[in-house]
Amino acid sequence: MHETSLVCSHIRVSYPEFTLSLDLAVNKGELVSIIGPSGCGKSTTLQLITGLLTCDSGTITLNGRDITQQPVWERNIGMVFQDYALFPHLTVEKNIAYSLKLKKIGKTEQAQRVRQLLELVGLQGFQRRKIHELSGGERQRIALARALASEPQLLLLDEPLSALDAKMRRHLRKQIKHIHEATGITTLYVTHDQEEALTMSDRVLVMQQGVMEQFDTPEEIYNHPATLYAAQFMGEGTILPHAIIPQTLVSIDKGPDTVVFRSSGETRQIFFRPERVIVHDNPSLAFPEFLPHLRFTEASVLSCEYQGGRYLLTCGWHHHHILAYSRFKPKHDQVTLGVRINDLVEYVDEAVAR
Amino acid sequence: MNQKAHTAHMPDIQRDTARFYRTMSAPALVLLTFLFLIPVGIILSKAFITEGGQFSTERLITLIRDPYILRVLRFTVLQASVSTLVSVLIALPGAYLLANFQFRGKSIIRAICTIPFVLPSILVVLGFVIFYGNQGIINTAFVKLFHLSEPPVKILYSFKAVILAHAFYNFPIALGLISSFWEQLPVRYDQAAMVMGARKWTVFRTVTLPRLIPAIISAATLIFLFCFSSFVILLVLGGGPQFTTLEVEIYRRARMTLDIEGAAALSLLSIGFTILLVALHLWSQRLLSHQEEIEQIDERRRGRTPTSPLATISSILYLVLSVIFVLGPLVGIVYRSFQAPVSRSQEMVFSFVWYRQLFGFDRAIGSPLGIAASALVTSIVIAAIATVISLFVGTLLAARLRSKEAGKGASIELYAMLPMAVSSVVIGLGYYLISSTVSHSTMVSRTLIVLAHTVIASPFVLRSILPEYRKIPRSYTQAALTLGATVPQTFSSIDLPLLRPALATGGAFAFALSMGEINATLILSDSSVVTVPIIMYRLIGSYNYAGACALGTILILCCAIVFATIERVRRSSSHA
Repeated sequence: MHETSLVCSHIRVSYPEFTLSLDLAVNKGELVSIIGPSGCGKSTTLQLITGLLTCDSGTITLNGRDITQQPVWERNIGMVFQDYALFPHLTVEKNIAYSLKLKKIGKTEQAQRVRQLLELVGLQGFQRRKIHELSGGERQRIALARALASEPQLLLLDEPLSALDAKMRRHLRKQIKHIHEATGITTLYVTHDQEEALTMSDRVLVMQQGVMEQFDTPEEIYNHPATLYAAQFMGEGTILPHAIIPQTLVSIDKGPDTVVFRSSGETRQIFFRPERVIVHDNPSLAFPEFLPHLRFTEASVLSCEYQGGRYLLTCGWHHHHILAYSRFKPKHDQVTLGVRINDLVEYVDEAVAR
Repeated sequence: MNQKAHTAHMPDIQRDTARFYRTMSAPALVLLTFLFLIPVGIILSKAFITEGGQFSTERLITLIRDPYILRVLRFTVLQASVSTLVSVLIALPGAYLLANFQFRGKSIIRAICTIPFVLPSILVVLGFVIFYGNQGIINTAFVKLFHLSEPPVKILYSFKAVILAHAFYNFPIALGLISSFWEQLPVRYDQAAMVMGARKWTVFRTVTLPRLIPAIISAATLIFLFCFSSFVILLVLGGGPQFTTLEVEIYRRARMTLDIEGAAALSLLSIGFTILLVALHLWSQRLLSHQEEIEQIDERRRGRTPTSPLATISSILYLVLSVIFVLGPLVGIVYRSFQAPVSRSQEMVFSFVWYRQLFGFDRAIGSPLGIAASALVTSIVIAAIATVISLFVGTLLAARLRSKEAGKGASIELYAMLPMAVSSVVIGLGYYLISSTVSHSTMVSRTLIVLAHTVIASPFVLRSILPEYRKIPRSYTQAALTLGATVPQTFSSIDLPLLRPALATGGAFAFALSMGEINATLILSDSSVVTVPIIMYRLIGSYNYAGACALGTILILCCAIVFATIERVRRSSSHA
């Protein structure tokens, strides 16, 4: 059984641009990513939880305690800001001990706690450093240590890696994951990077225009996106009208026919990821697929990008574009593409969001 | 549902914060209102209300029709225009050199640019007389070098003297403003123009100059404002009725012919002009900030070392000349303060005699130098108190203005800057009118001087704090709040420590302004309270230049300390 930690129920806030509505429960010790385009309300969500912003209605409870009406400074929620917001007039040690000092904790205890936290983030001996002497990655870790100092019940991270280069991001991603496992603290992690969201989280919340699009495990989000919007936001893929199924379906007699085919679906759409597409560049050879699948013959290769380890093909087929990964570079301009029926996701009556 | 009930009691941190800063700044606003609006209000009432207690614009209308006043006005505008033009023209080549080249001594020119803001105008007057006067350093040098019988430079007490003194005082302002803006213009626009086939001069004319114009307007309006309300320089160096400006006329009527109503009506004219100038200045600054927004300064032009001999020579020449032009008179003051004639001869020798008189070791019977030591103490005490109050006012107002969202609070900012738009002579007149309604005592006079100085200094303090305050990211405050700090705690533990350099700069400015303030003090004070600049004025008036130099040296020392503080803060904050 999971014990819930943070519950946001029926939260609504109106802004000129959009209305944010939230309804979610985060389990104790869980790491939840919130992902969405800029301006979708992810940072606003964090500010509502900390109390820096106020909601129009709804309640927020943390570990069973209603914190909706508590002022920010009493909530004891750790937060790492996008720009880290480390105080430049204080040393590393004083930054980390800021909340401890406010709680009137003894000097020796403060020093010990700072030492532990620096050890946790792997920056032993940094106590006397000035903020402007630190690199971006070091600042990020000090900000994390400072947020954890008062042993909060909830940790919020607002795009903590967005200011760093790709290599440092991957490194710190692992470290945040490690620290999360070591402390077991319930964590909300805001990001706009889908790779970060997929690799780090127990669950992912996809947001758009202040609305929760999907809240599920990374695997479910990637493989079975709830909406076309979530599907496109979490990675590459192809959208085709449902109506192409009859002309492309190859049903093998031996296999179980799993296709639930509805003929009335003009507005229906299908979606599949490029890695689910099988590419075959010799039309004279037999197609190796033996389960029910859609087969797109005589698709023309429009572009072929080498991505290191694989090629991303953009193929044209009957005025549609199909994305496919291939291990080899096609020898011909014309290829045959195949997608298993099981790998299709179906959407009803939805406008393609682009 | 209990949702409605929730809405009523929601903790709203933004509302709390706004309330905190509003409450905190209220005393500052009230104080500023009392200190500024009351004196100005009294002036206005004197200008409009007749002896019978009737409201009338008649006095103002007669004044505007008076050919004498019209001549005064014309001269005021003329001298300010010429002074501004000369200052900007002297500054432009220097701004070009500073913005485009890296050379030794650049930091010296940079430092010179801050001098006018802390240099008391009485020192400008004195330095000018010592340096360019008939017995001045330049003339003595020429006479000795070329064995002349007559001093070759005769510009004292003329229009030229006024212009030259104003240029000396103000060109560094233009130099600082224009060069710092020029430096930030991205080079790629120049490069783009050159790639498209524009020659250097064409690039300057078609790309650089149009973009510099807001900076030039900004500098020019400020200098025009300063020259328009310049007072002591005209009073001493102008020296004749044909060189009377509006401010001098106000002083003359208030303190010599005792035509208070006339002085009040003239003040109204002066306020009208200066408000117009300040509005122009603010508008040009807005233009500048718009440009900066668009720039997103990614690559600044890097100063290169001058390659052509022409650039080398001109930068050295500019450096040497500006140092002589600005520092020469000040060095002259210090030098002359240690010179005294040997008895019954023209020969001058090194001597401490003026300082001994100043501090009362030698008796200086009948000379104002005798009370100089006590004036020094008075000046320091007045400046210290005025500094503390204006720091208080400036910080609280800055805190409130910063807590507002961008674009809001413009009216408070304008209001707080208003004392800048009223010349110190007019503020002095306002306090003089107040002092004539209360009983006379030294304490009252001193208090009024402190208050007048506070009004004059507060906008400068606000100006040095507010931009720095606005640079503090809001996330710092938010981070402190999530770490458990209450709103007042974020102010004391985050804002104030981060503002320490700005507070030091603002405080130093306020102290220097008050130490050197003479315009308001001269109008306001009776003989009971004397400050250092007043004594210097009296010494110059009685042709005791050497004594004035000794006192001036001490004033220079005070300003130098202030100046060093500002420079140190500026450097340490640019390193961080």
